[in-house]
Amino acid sequence: MSVPEVGDLTPVHVAPIARRSRRRSFAVLAVLALAVVALLSQGLLRNLNYFETVAQAEAHRATLGTRQLRLEGIVEAHTISRTNDGASFWLTGGKYRVFVRASGSPPQLFQANIPVVVVGHFVNAHAQRFNASQIMVKHSANYIAAHPKRVTAPNGTAR
Amino acid sequence: MTKTLLARLLGPLTLALLALTFGLGLWVTPPDQVQGNLVRLVYVHPALAWVALYVSFGTATIASVLYLWRRTRSATLDRIGACAMEVSVVFIALTLITGSLWGRPTWGVWWAWDARLTSTAILGVFALAYLALRRALDDDETRARRSAVFAIIAAINVPIIHFSVLWWKTLHQGATVFTANRTLLIHGSQAWTLLVSFVAFTLSFVWLLRARYRLEVTRDQSRQRDFNEALAQRRREGARP
Repeated sequence: MSVPEVGDLTPVHVAPIARRSRRRSFAVLAVLALAVVALLSQGLLRNLNYFETVAQAEAHRATLGTRQLRLEGIVEAHTISRTNDGASFWLTGGKYRVFVRASGSPPQLFQANIPVVVVGHFVNAHAQRFNASQIMVKHSANYIAAHPKRVTAPNGTAR
Repeated sequence: MTKTLLARLLGPLTLALLALTFGLGLWVTPPDQVQGNLVRLVYVHPALAWVALYVSFGTATIASVLYLWRRTRSATLDRIGACAMEVSVVFIALTLITGSLWGRPTWGVWWAWDARLTSTAILGVFALAYLALRRALDDDETRARRSAVFAIIAAINVPIIHFSVLWWKTLHQGATVFTANRTLLIHGSQAWTLLVSFVAFTLSFVWLLRARYRLEVTRDQSRQRDFNEALAQRRREGARP
């Protein structure tokens, strides 16, 4: 097959659609860069440590005042009581304990002896009482199989 | 022969292992002491995160490093990097979605701005930015070089995500499998099912990557054919008196 003789090979005009597509891609890149900045400033840099433990909060009570914070501790056994608008319980961390009065329905896994993060504020700079608007359960990384039907109840049913 | 057989077996084997994972996860493994039946998401979410962060993003990063190294530079590596990053976007999205579905009943919230979740979301944005960057550049070599550099820079986020639960206080739980003292924090049939899920989702990544790579090769060949035809046409036009 013979190749035809080359004549005028002036570059063809680039279709506007290709340029538009490129511009759109650069615009998407710019939006994504803004998204990263927003995520970094909103999420990561503000919340590198998502919560303060009960012990840490107690150590900084003077500076914390009544400002909003996330407080982490273990729900003390036999202290949970349901209130009209939520629940109240004692939260422990090391040798410290704080009384929490939370509004709103607690999460499904909320129970005694489980770590939780409560969002709210201390009622004043000295009291051990914390008013929370939200409870989050912080479950552990351990997975232990429940063994149902291994215990026979007095009425003969397996539990 | 062996290569063809392996390639043919890849799809059915992946589907069989995924079915085995779901079968074991839904019917064979017991509920958890604390989480009850919610624990069954452990056979999906960590495996998806493993593929998203380490397998697919890792493949894209290694391919990018090898592309930038002159001795190994090839269009194949550029294609592998791009395809792995595309698959990575899918797995990062699935990781975030399943994590959110798990978080609502366990934590009590769909989303928390903690270090683990936020850094994973940032990785997703990086992966999307990589794909946008590739579309923004016309020249093949420039595109391959710049996107490879971008992938390597973005990969710095992967160890940050991994160690975020150790470095900072997060709502997200710590490591269950890759613990600092190599102690597996999951028991019995739960651990075996978790292992099967990791293999199943890793194979699904290989399957998807292979399919996406073949599509990319076909597209490149088609593009080359179109280019040759256009060139021949221009030559014919130029040769006319």
